[in-house]
Amino acid sequence: MMKVTVTVNGEVYEREVPESKTLLHFLREEIGLTGTKEGCAAGECGACTVIMNGKTVNSCLVLAVEAEGANIVTIEGEAKGNELSDLQQAFERNHATQCGFCTPGMMMSIRDLLARNPKPSVEEIKQGIEGNFCRCTGYVQVIEAVLDATGQLDKKGELKHV
Amino acid sequence: MPVKELGALHSVGKGIARIDADEKVRGKAQYADDLHVPGAWYGYVVRSPVSHGRLSGLRMDSDFDWSQVVVVTPEDIPGNNIVDMMGRDMPFIAHAEIQYLGEPVALVAAPTRHLACVAGSHIHPDIEEFPPLLTLQEMVAQYKEDPSKLHELSAQTIRKGDADKAVNEADIVMEREYSAGHQEQLYIEPQGMVAVPESDGTMFVHGSMQCPYYINPELCETLDIPPEKLRVKQSAVGGAFGGKEEFPTLLAGYCALLALKAKRPVKIIYDRNQDILFSTKRHPSWSRYRVGLNKDGTIQGIRCEFLLDGGAYTTLSPVVMYRGILHSAMGYRCDNVSIDGHVYRTNTFPNGAFRGFGAPQALWAWESMIDELAEACGMTPHEFRLKNCLHEGDATPTGGLLRDSVGSPEVLEKTLERCNFGEKFKQCSHGRRGEKKWYGIGLSFFAHGSGFTGDGEARIKAKAALDLEPGDNGKPVVNVRISSTEMGQGTCTIMPQVVADAMSIDVRHAYYPMPDTFKVPDSGPTVASRTAMVVGSTVFGAGRKMKADLEAFASEALFEGQPVTLDQDRFRGSYGDKEMSFEEVAAEYLARKGPLRVYDQFQLPDFIKWNQNTFEGDAYPAYSWGCNVAELEVDTLTFEIKVTKVTAYYDIGRLLNPVLAKGQIEGGLVQALGYAMMEKIEVKDGKYDADRMQTYVIPTTLDIPEMDLHFVEYPWEHAQPGAKGVGEIPMDGLAPAIANALVQATGIRMRDLPITPERLFQMMQEEKTA
Repeated sequence: MMKVTVTVNGEVYEREVPESKTLLHFLREEIGLTGTKEGCAAGECGACTVIMNGKTVNSCLVLAVEAEGANIVTIEGEAKGNELSDLQQAFERNHATQCGFCTPGMMMSIRDLLARNPKPSVEEIKQGIEGNFCRCTGYVQVIEAVLDATGQLDKKGELKHV
Repeated sequence: MPVKELGALHSVGKGIARIDADEKVRGKAQYADDLHVPGAWYGYVVRSPVSHGRLSGLRMDSDFDWSQVVVVTPEDIPGNNIVDMMGRDMPFIAHAEIQYLGEPVALVAAPTRHLACVAGSHIHPDIEEFPPLLTLQEMVAQYKEDPSKLHELSAQTIRKGDADKAVNEADIVMEREYSAGHQEQLYIEPQGMVAVPESDGTMFVHGSMQCPYYINPELCETLDIPPEKLRVKQSAVGGAFGGKEEFPTLLAGYCALLALKAKRPVKIIYDRNQDILFSTKRHPSWSRYRVGLNKDGTIQGIRCEFLLDGGAYTTLSPVVMYRGILHSAMGYRCDNVSIDGHVYRTNTFPNGAFRGFGAPQALWAWESMIDELAEACGMTPHEFRLKNCLHEGDATPTGGLLRDSVGSPEVLEKTLERCNFGEKFKQCSHGRRGEKKWYGIGLSFFAHGSGFTGDGEARIKAKAALDLEPGDNGKPVVNVRISSTEMGQGTCTIMPQVVADAMSIDVRHAYYPMPDTFKVPDSGPTVASRTAMVVGSTVFGAGRKMKADLEAFASEALFEGQPVTLDQDRFRGSYGDKEMSFEEVAAEYLARKGPLRVYDQFQLPDFIKWNQNTFEGDAYPAYSWGCNVAELEVDTLTFEIKVTKVTAYYDIGRLLNPVLAKGQIEGGLVQALGYAMMEKIEVKDGKYDADRMQTYVIPTTLDIPEMDLHFVEYPWEHAQPGAKGVGEIPMDGLAPAIANALVQATGIRMRDLPITPERLFQMMQEEKTA
C-alpha cells in the first residue's frame, strides 16, 4: 500500500492504495467518480481518457501512484454545477451521444484538442479523437457537435435533406 | 409521394434532443459496473480448455483454501440445467459433453475479482478429447461431400413455382458461391450483470441487456422459481447491437446461481478479452446460387442454399437463418424461387444475434450476385435493378403481397440520380495498368423486414402500458412502461414523442423509465427493427386510451358534463370558454383518483397471413427499403482500399426523430464498413485469433467515408405513428456495394468477407498466374 495525493477536478484526494491500482480504478473505486469508463483496460479504446497535467492519458495505463501530485480532469469536471458546458450542450443538440459509454472519454479528448486548437477543421477533429472508439454513432454527429461547439456549424440539430 | 395523412403530429418528426443526453454527457448514467451493490462478491466462470470432448469430472486442488470462496457445479442448480431458447440443447454448466472451447464447467464467487480468478485456476476439468469441427470452411466442405455427417441444428425451405425447371430452361444460367466470416458486436461497454437474492426469496437481476423478458422466464426453470419471484431490471446499456440479446441470460444465470449459494449479491463484469472470446458473434455464412436469366435480363428462376455456422448450440440460430432465407431472393421479381436454409453445429461459442440477424449475410451474397447477373446479360447494374426491382403490388419470394408503404423503386431511382451513378460508372478504372489509383463505384438495393419474422408478432402480441403518476418533481408525468430497452438507439426519446402526439400533450410531460419486469408488461424483446413500428404503435394506442380517459374525467369532474377535448396540452369544453392545462387536469385526476394505468396490445392487421410451416405468405408486416452507392479508391501499389463516399436513400416509414434516424444510419453504415473490410476474426485451434481491440479492428474517425444520406417517407399505413424498421437496415447493403465497386475498380470479384488488401493482392496474383 502507498499513500497518494491527487487533485481531481480541483478537489484534493488523499488515499492509501495498492501499488498495482490504476488511476482508472482509483477514480472509480476510491473516490467514486464512475463517469470514466473501462472499455478494454489495455489502452486501446479510449473510454477511460482523462486529462492529467494538461495532457490526455488512458487512465487504465497509468498507476494511481504515478499520479502522485498530479492534476486530473475527468468528465465530472466538465459541467459547472447544473449548467452544461458549451461542448456538452453541442453533444446534446447534435445527438453526439447514443449509448453514452464512450462519451466521457471522447469529451476529454475533445477538451484537450480545443485547448490546443480552438477552431479545429474536420480533419483535425478526426485526428484529435481517432483514439476514441465509438461503435454507435459512426462519429459523424460527434464531429458535428465539435463544429457546433466551435461556431462552425450553420444548422444546429436539423437534418438538412428531409 | 403517397404519404397517407395520419393526422397532425407535433412532436413526431422533430429532431428533439435525446432525453437521456443530459446524464450521458455528464457521465452520470449508471451502467452495470457503476451500480453500487453493497456486499457484492465477484463471479468467475471456469471454462473448458478444449473444443470437443467428454467431461468426466473436476479436480479441485486440495492445497487451496476453498472456505473463502463459493463454487457452483451442476449439482448446485436447483432446477433444470438447461438454457431454454429456441432449442433445449445447451446446459448452463457442462456436465457431460463439451461442445466448445470455453464452455463453463464450474462457477466461482469470491470477495474480490482477483481471488475468484485464482480460485478458478485451481479447478481442473478432466476431459476426454474428441476431434472438433471448427470453421465454416470445414463445415461447407463436409456439406458438399456428405451433409448427413453434419449435426443439423435447424433447417427450413422456401418454395415458390418450379425453380429447377425455370433455371434449366433459361437462356443464361449462372452459379456462384459467397461466404462471410464472424463479426463481433464490440459494444464499448463489456457484458455486465449483478444478481441480488432478496430476503423474500426474490432474485433481482440488474444489468446490461436488451431483453428483460428473455431472462424472465428463461432463468425461472434453472433457478426453479416462479416468474413473479424473478425481477429483471435494465441498467444503462453501453451498446448492444444484438450482442446483449440472448447472451445476458447466461451471465444472469451465472450470477444468480452463485448468488443463491453464496447468499449474497454476485456481480460479473467481463473484461474485454473474455467478452470477445466467450460471447456471441454474427454467424459465418455461405450462400450458393443457381440463377436462370432470359437474354433480356428477366430473372426466370432462383435456386439458393443458405448455410449458417451455428456454433455449438441452437440458441437463436433458427430465426437468424429464417431472416437470412427470407432476404436471400428479396427485392426483385421472380415467380420461381427455391431456397434451402440450414444451420449446422461447429465447436465454437454459439453464434447469435447481431444487427441485421441473417439479412446482412444473405444480402451480401444476393446483391453481389445481382451485379454478376447484370453483367452476364450485358446490362449495367443499375439498369438490371431498375428492370427487376419489386414495386407496390408485387409479390415477395414467399408470395406475400407488397400492399402499401413500398419505398421501391424510389430509393433506387433517387440514389442513382443523386450520385450521378450512370456517368461515374463509365469512369471506373477496371484495373488499368500504369495508374496510381483505381476508382470504382458500386451499388446495392435491398429491403429489410420490419418486426419479427413470420408468426412472431402474432404470437407475442406486444403489450404496452402508460402510467399517469406523480413525477420526481411532484408534477404529473406519463411514464411509458414497456420492456423495449434503451441501448443507445433512442427508445427513451421516441416513445415520449409518440405519447405526446397520441395524447396531444407537450413531450416534456412524458418520460421513459428503464424497464423493470416488476413494472412493465412484456412488449417483446428489443430486436428485429420492431421497437419504433410495433411497440411504438402500441404505445400510441395506449396514449389514445389515456387521452380518452382524461377527457372523460375532465368532462365529468371539471367541466360540468360537457364534452371535453385535450388538444395541444389544453383541455377545452365544447361550449363556454373554460380551459385547463394538461398539468392541472392530470394533477386533479391524481388527487381525486390516484395513479392511472392504461394498456394496449399490438394487433397485426387481419390481412397479414403467414404459414410458419411452409413459409408462405407475408413474412413481415412491412419492409423498409434502402439503396447504397459506394465509391472507392484502390492504391495500386499497396492494394489499400479506401471507401471515399457513400450515397444512400432509405425508406424507414415515418421518421419519428430525423436526427436520431440519421445517427442510426451513420452508425450502422460504419459497422457495415467494418464488416465489409476490417473486422477479421478467425478460429485458430478452437480459439478466436483476434481477442482484443488491438487485433479486432473496428473503424475509427480516420476510416469513415463522406456520407450523403437521405430519407423518403412511406409510412406504415396500418397504425400510427407509421414508423417502420431502422435499426438493422443500415447493416445490410454496404458490403455488397463495396464488392461491386471493387470489381469496377480492379476487375476482381471478391466473394468472401471481409475484403482485405491482403486478400485482394492474393486474388490479383492468382489472376496473373491463371
